[in-house]
Amino acid sequence: MKFESPEVFENNLLKLTLQETNDSIEVKWNGKSTDREPGVFISPILLNVLELSSRDNKDIRMDFRALEYMNSSTITPIIKILERAKRGTNKLTVIYDKTLKWQDLSFSALEIFQTQDKRVEIKGLT
Amino acid sequence: MKKSQAMTISPEWDEIEMVRNKSSKFFEQNGIPDEIVHSATMVVSELLENGIKYGDFSKNKSRVGVDISINSNTITVEVSNPVNEVAYAYLKTLDKTIQWIRGFQDPFQAYTEMLKEVSRKPMSDENSGLGLVRIAYEGDAIIDFFVSDEGILNVSAIVDY
Repeated sequence: MKFESPEVFENNLLKLTLQETNDSIEVKWNGKSTDREPGVFISPILLNVLELSSRDNKDIRMDFRALEYMNSSTITPIIKILERAKRGTNKLTVIYDKTLKWQDLSFSALEIFQTQDKRVEIKGLT
Repeated sequence: MKKSQAMTISPEWDEIEMVRNKSSKFFEQNGIPDEIVHSATMVVSELLENGIKYGDFSKNKSRVGVDISINSNTITVEVSNPVNEVAYAYLKTLDKTIQWIRGFQDPFQAYTEMLKEVSRKPMSDENSGLGLVRIAYEGDAIIDFFVSDEGILNVSAIVDY
Protein backbone atom coordinates (compact mmCIF):
# COMPACT_ATOMS: atom_id res chain seq x y z
CA MET A 1 0.00 0.00 0.00
CA LYS A 2 1.37 3.38 -1.00
CA PHE A 3 1.55 6.09 1.69
CA GLU A 4 2.23 9.67 0.77
CA SER A 5 3.93 11.73 3.49
CA PRO A 6 1.32 13.48 5.61
CA GLU A 7 0.43 17.10 4.94
CA VAL A 8 -0.09 19.24 8.02
CA PHE A 9 -2.22 22.39 8.09
CA GLU A 10 -2.18 24.54 11.21
CA ASN A 11 -4.21 27.56 12.17
CA ASN A 12 -4.20 28.96 15.71
CA LEU A 13 -5.15 26.06 18.01
CA LEU A 14 -6.30 23.70 15.24
CA LYS A 15 -4.20 21.19 13.33
CA LEU A 16 -5.46 19.14 10.37
CA THR A 17 -3.26 16.28 9.17
CA LEU A 18 -3.96 14.78 5.77
CA GLN A 19 -2.64 11.32 5.04
CA GLU A 20 -3.18 9.85 1.59
CA THR A 21 -2.84 6.18 0.72
CA ASN A 22 -3.62 4.25 -2.47
CA ASP A 23 -7.27 4.05 -1.65
CA SER A 24 -8.04 6.60 1.04
CA ILE A 25 -7.55 10.11 2.35
CA GLU A 26 -7.53 10.53 6.09
CA VAL A 27 -8.11 13.91 7.76
CA LYS A 28 -7.11 13.93 11.42
CA TRP A 29 -8.37 16.81 13.57
CA ASN A 30 -6.29 17.89 16.56
CA GLY A 31 -6.61 20.64 19.16
CA LYS A 32 -9.34 23.27 19.27
CA SER A 33 -11.25 25.09 16.54
CA THR A 34 -12.23 28.47 17.97
CA ASP A 35 -11.75 30.98 15.14
CA ARG A 36 -14.34 33.63 14.38
CA GLU A 37 -14.60 32.33 10.82
CA PRO A 38 -13.10 28.84 10.91
CA GLY A 39 -14.46 28.05 7.44
CA VAL A 40 -11.84 30.34 5.89
CA PHE A 41 -9.18 27.82 6.95
CA ILE A 42 -11.20 24.59 6.94
CA SER A 43 -13.42 24.82 3.84
CA PRO A 44 -10.68 24.97 1.16
CA ILE A 45 -8.93 21.96 2.72
CA LEU A 46 -12.10 19.89 2.92
CA LEU A 47 -13.25 20.88 -0.56
CA ASN A 48 -9.86 19.83 -1.90
CA VAL A 49 -10.16 16.47 -0.11
CA LEU A 50 -13.63 15.97 -1.60
CA GLU A 51 -12.31 16.80 -5.07
CA LEU A 52 -9.32 14.44 -4.73
CA SER A 53 -11.61 11.71 -3.47
CA SER A 54 -13.89 12.08 -6.51
CA ARG A 55 -11.00 12.33 -8.99
CA ASP A 56 -8.97 9.39 -7.64
CA ASN A 57 -11.87 7.35 -6.32
CA LYS A 58 -10.53 7.36 -2.76
CA ASP A 59 -12.48 6.97 0.47
CA ILE A 60 -12.42 9.84 2.96
CA ARG A 61 -11.99 9.22 6.67
CA MET A 62 -12.37 12.22 8.98
CA ASP A 63 -11.08 11.42 12.45
CA PHE A 64 -12.19 13.84 15.18
CA ARG A 65 -11.14 11.78 18.22
CA ALA A 66 -8.24 14.08 19.12
CA LEU A 67 -10.32 17.23 18.75
CA GLU A 68 -10.72 18.94 22.13
CA TYR A 69 -13.31 21.57 21.26
CA MET A 70 -15.00 23.18 18.28
CA ASN A 71 -17.26 26.19 18.22
CA SER A 72 -20.56 26.11 16.35
CA SER A 73 -19.04 27.99 13.40
CA THR A 74 -16.75 24.97 12.87
CA ILE A 75 -19.74 22.66 12.49
CA THR A 76 -20.88 24.67 9.46
CA PRO A 77 -18.10 23.70 6.98
CA ILE A 78 -18.20 20.10 8.25
CA ILE A 79 -21.92 19.63 7.59
CA LYS A 80 -21.68 21.37 4.23
CA ILE A 81 -19.05 18.81 3.19
CA LEU A 82 -21.22 15.97 4.52
CA GLU A 83 -24.20 17.27 2.56
CA ARG A 84 -22.10 17.50 -0.61
CA ALA A 85 -20.71 13.99 -0.07
CA LYS A 86 -24.24 12.71 0.49
CA ARG A 87 -25.36 14.17 -2.85
CA GLY A 88 -22.22 12.88 -4.60
CA THR A 89 -20.62 9.47 -4.88
CA ASN A 90 -17.81 9.81 -2.34
CA LYS A 91 -17.41 7.34 0.50
CA LEU A 92 -16.93 9.39 3.64
CA THR A 93 -16.64 8.14 7.22
CA VAL A 94 -16.66 10.43 10.25
CA ILE A 95 -14.97 8.90 13.30
CA TYR A 96 -15.51 10.32 16.79
CA ASP A 97 -14.92 9.30 20.40
CA LYS A 98 -18.21 8.04 21.79
CA THR A 99 -16.83 7.99 25.35
CA LEU A 100 -16.54 11.80 25.33
CA LYS A 101 -20.02 13.17 26.01
CA TRP A 102 -19.49 16.38 24.04
CA GLN A 103 -18.26 14.45 20.98
CA ASP A 104 -21.13 12.01 21.29
CA LEU A 105 -23.68 14.85 21.40
CA SER A 106 -22.05 16.84 18.60
CA PHE A 107 -21.30 14.04 16.18
CA SER A 108 -24.20 11.65 16.74
CA ALA A 109 -26.47 14.50 15.58
CA LEU A 110 -24.63 14.35 12.24
CA GLU A 111 -26.19 10.94 11.60
CA ILE A 112 -28.88 12.83 9.68
CA PHE A 113 -26.30 13.03 6.88
CA GLN A 114 -25.69 9.29 6.89
CA THR A 115 -26.78 7.42 3.77
CA GLN A 116 -28.71 4.15 4.04
CA ASP A 117 -25.88 2.18 2.40
CA LYS A 118 -23.37 3.78 4.86
CA ARG A 119 -21.49 5.40 1.97
CA VAL A 120 -21.58 8.42 4.24
CA GLU A 121 -21.23 7.10 7.76
CA ILE A 122 -20.94 8.64 11.22
CA LYS A 123 -19.13 6.21 13.49
CA GLY A 124 -18.67 6.60 17.25
CA LEU A 125 -15.83 4.48 18.61
CA THR A 126 -15.47 3.44 22.25
CA MET B 1 -25.15 27.93 48.50
CA LYS B 2 -24.76 30.19 45.48
CA LYS B 3 -21.27 30.57 44.04
CA SER B 4 -20.54 33.08 41.35
CA GLN B 5 -17.85 34.41 39.11
CA ALA B 6 -17.94 37.68 37.20
CA MET B 7 -15.59 38.66 34.40
CA THR B 8 -15.42 41.78 32.29
CA ILE B 9 -13.41 41.56 29.12
CA SER B 10 -12.50 43.66 26.13
CA PRO B 11 -14.39 42.58 23.00
CA GLU B 12 -11.42 40.78 21.47
CA TRP B 13 -11.83 37.31 19.98
CA ASP B 14 -8.64 36.06 21.68
CA GLU B 15 -10.21 36.76 25.09
CA ILE B 16 -12.72 33.95 24.55
CA GLU B 17 -10.18 31.20 25.16
CA MET B 18 -9.10 32.87 28.39
CA VAL B 19 -12.73 33.04 29.56
CA ARG B 20 -13.26 29.42 28.51
CA ASN B 21 -10.29 28.31 30.61
CA LYS B 22 -11.31 30.39 33.65
CA SER B 23 -14.93 29.21 33.46
CA SER B 24 -13.91 25.60 33.11
CA LYS B 25 -11.63 25.89 36.15
CA PHE B 26 -14.42 27.58 38.13
CA PHE B 27 -16.84 24.74 37.33
CA GLU B 28 -14.25 22.09 38.24
CA GLN B 29 -13.33 23.80 41.51
CA ASN B 30 -16.98 23.81 42.48
CA GLY B 31 -17.47 20.11 41.95
CA ILE B 32 -19.45 20.24 38.71
CA PRO B 33 -19.32 16.82 36.98
CA ASP B 34 -16.84 16.60 34.07
CA GLU B 35 -19.43 16.18 31.32
CA ILE B 36 -21.35 19.24 32.57
CA VAL B 37 -18.10 21.25 32.80
CA HIS B 38 -17.65 20.76 29.08
CA SER B 39 -21.20 21.63 28.08
CA ALA B 40 -21.43 24.63 30.44
CA THR B 41 -18.10 25.94 29.14
CA MET B 42 -19.44 25.56 25.60
CA VAL B 43 -22.49 27.64 26.64
CA VAL B 44 -20.22 30.40 28.01
CA SER B 45 -18.15 30.32 24.85
CA GLU B 46 -21.06 30.44 22.38
CA LEU B 47 -22.83 33.28 24.24
CA LEU B 48 -19.59 35.23 24.45
CA GLU B 49 -18.90 34.76 20.73
CA ASN B 50 -22.33 36.26 19.97
CA GLY B 51 -21.72 39.13 22.42
CA ILE B 52 -18.47 40.05 20.69
CA LYS B 53 -19.89 39.56 17.18
CA TYR B 54 -23.05 41.61 17.61
CA GLY B 55 -22.23 44.10 20.38
CA ASP B 56 -21.69 47.81 19.84
CA PHE B 57 -18.22 48.66 21.06
CA SER B 58 -17.90 52.00 19.32
CA LYS B 59 -17.80 53.86 22.63
CA ASN B 60 -14.53 53.91 24.50
CA LYS B 61 -14.05 51.25 27.11
CA SER B 62 -17.14 49.26 26.05
CA ARG B 63 -16.76 45.79 27.48
CA VAL B 64 -18.46 42.42 27.57
CA GLY B 65 -19.62 41.03 30.91
CA VAL B 66 -19.71 37.34 31.72
CA ASP B 67 -21.46 36.27 34.92
CA ILE B 68 -21.66 32.67 36.01
CA SER B 69 -23.51 31.44 39.05
CA ILE B 70 -23.85 27.95 40.41
CA ASN B 71 -26.86 27.02 42.50
CA SER B 72 -27.72 23.64 43.96
CA ASN B 73 -28.96 22.17 40.66
CA THR B 74 -28.48 24.86 38.05
CA ILE B 75 -25.76 26.89 36.40
CA THR B 76 -26.72 30.31 35.08
CA VAL B 77 -24.55 31.97 32.45
CA GLU B 78 -25.20 35.59 31.56
CA VAL B 79 -23.38 37.57 28.89
CA SER B 80 -24.02 41.29 28.58
CA ASN B 81 -22.84 43.81 26.03
CA PRO B 82 -23.92 47.19 24.68
CA VAL B 83 -26.09 47.19 21.56
CA ASN B 84 -27.23 49.97 19.26
CA GLU B 85 -29.98 50.35 16.67
CA VAL B 86 -27.82 48.54 14.09
CA ALA B 87 -28.07 45.44 16.27
CA TYR B 88 -31.88 45.50 16.24
CA ALA B 89 -31.92 43.08 13.33
CA TYR B 90 -29.83 40.73 15.47
CA LEU B 91 -32.24 41.18 18.41
CA LYS B 92 -35.14 40.24 16.13
CA THR B 93 -33.25 37.14 14.99
CA LEU B 94 -32.36 36.32 18.59
CA ASP B 95 -36.00 36.57 19.65
CA LYS B 96 -37.21 34.60 16.62
CA THR B 97 -34.62 31.86 17.16
CA ILE B 98 -35.41 31.48 20.86
CA GLN B 99 -39.15 31.25 20.09
CA TRP B 100 -38.43 28.79 17.29
CA ILE B 101 -36.37 26.54 19.61
CA ARG B 102 -39.15 26.66 22.23
CA GLY B 103 -41.56 25.42 19.58
CA PHE B 104 -39.86 22.01 19.60
CA GLN B 105 -40.56 19.49 22.35
CA ASP B 106 -36.99 18.23 22.13
CA PRO B 107 -34.13 20.67 21.33
CA PHE B 108 -32.44 17.82 19.43
CA GLN B 109 -35.12 18.15 16.76
CA ALA B 110 -34.51 21.89 16.52
CA TYR B 111 -30.78 21.27 16.25
CA THR B 112 -31.05 18.70 13.45
CA GLU B 113 -33.51 20.93 11.56
CA MET B 114 -31.01 23.77 11.75
CA LEU B 115 -28.15 21.46 10.69
CA LYS B 116 -30.11 20.48 7.56
CA GLU B 117 -30.86 24.10 6.73
CA VAL B 118 -27.28 25.33 7.23
CA SER B 119 -25.76 22.39 5.32
CA ARG B 120 -27.57 23.48 2.15
CA LYS B 121 -26.11 26.99 2.18
CA PRO B 122 -23.16 27.85 -0.07
CA MET B 123 -19.68 27.03 1.26
CA SER B 124 -18.83 30.73 1.17
CA ASP B 125 -21.64 31.60 3.62
CA GLU B 126 -19.85 31.84 6.98
CA ASN B 127 -22.99 32.47 9.05
CA SER B 128 -23.69 29.36 11.05
CA GLY B 129 -26.70 30.39 13.13
CA LEU B 130 -26.08 27.20 15.10
CA GLY B 131 -24.85 28.77 18.37
CA LEU B 132 -28.16 29.22 20.20
CA VAL B 133 -29.69 25.95 19.11
CA ARG B 134 -26.46 24.15 20.07
CA ILE B 135 -26.71 25.74 23.54
CA ALA B 136 -30.28 24.43 23.82
CA TYR B 137 -29.41 20.94 22.61
CA GLU B 138 -25.86 20.15 23.78
CA GLY B 139 -26.03 22.41 26.80
CA ASP B 140 -29.59 21.32 27.59
CA ALA B 141 -30.14 24.96 28.50
CA ILE B 142 -33.03 27.39 28.53
CA ILE B 143 -32.14 30.66 26.83
CA ASP B 144 -33.61 34.10 27.42
CA PHE B 145 -32.65 37.75 26.90
CA PHE B 146 -33.56 41.33 27.71
CA VAL B 147 -32.33 44.78 26.78
CA SER B 148 -31.97 47.32 29.57
CA ASP B 149 -32.95 51.00 29.28
CA GLU B 150 -29.23 51.76 29.00
CA GLY B 151 -29.00 49.66 25.83
CA ILE B 152 -27.27 46.67 27.40
CA LEU B 153 -28.24 43.29 25.97
CA ASN B 154 -28.20 40.49 28.51
CA VAL B 155 -28.48 36.94 27.18
CA SER B 156 -28.79 34.16 29.72
CA ALA B 157 -28.72 30.39 29.62
CA ILE B 158 -29.75 28.15 32.49
CA VAL B 159 -28.19 24.71 32.55
CA ASP B 160 -29.66 22.01 34.83
CA TYR B 161 -27.27 19.45 36.24
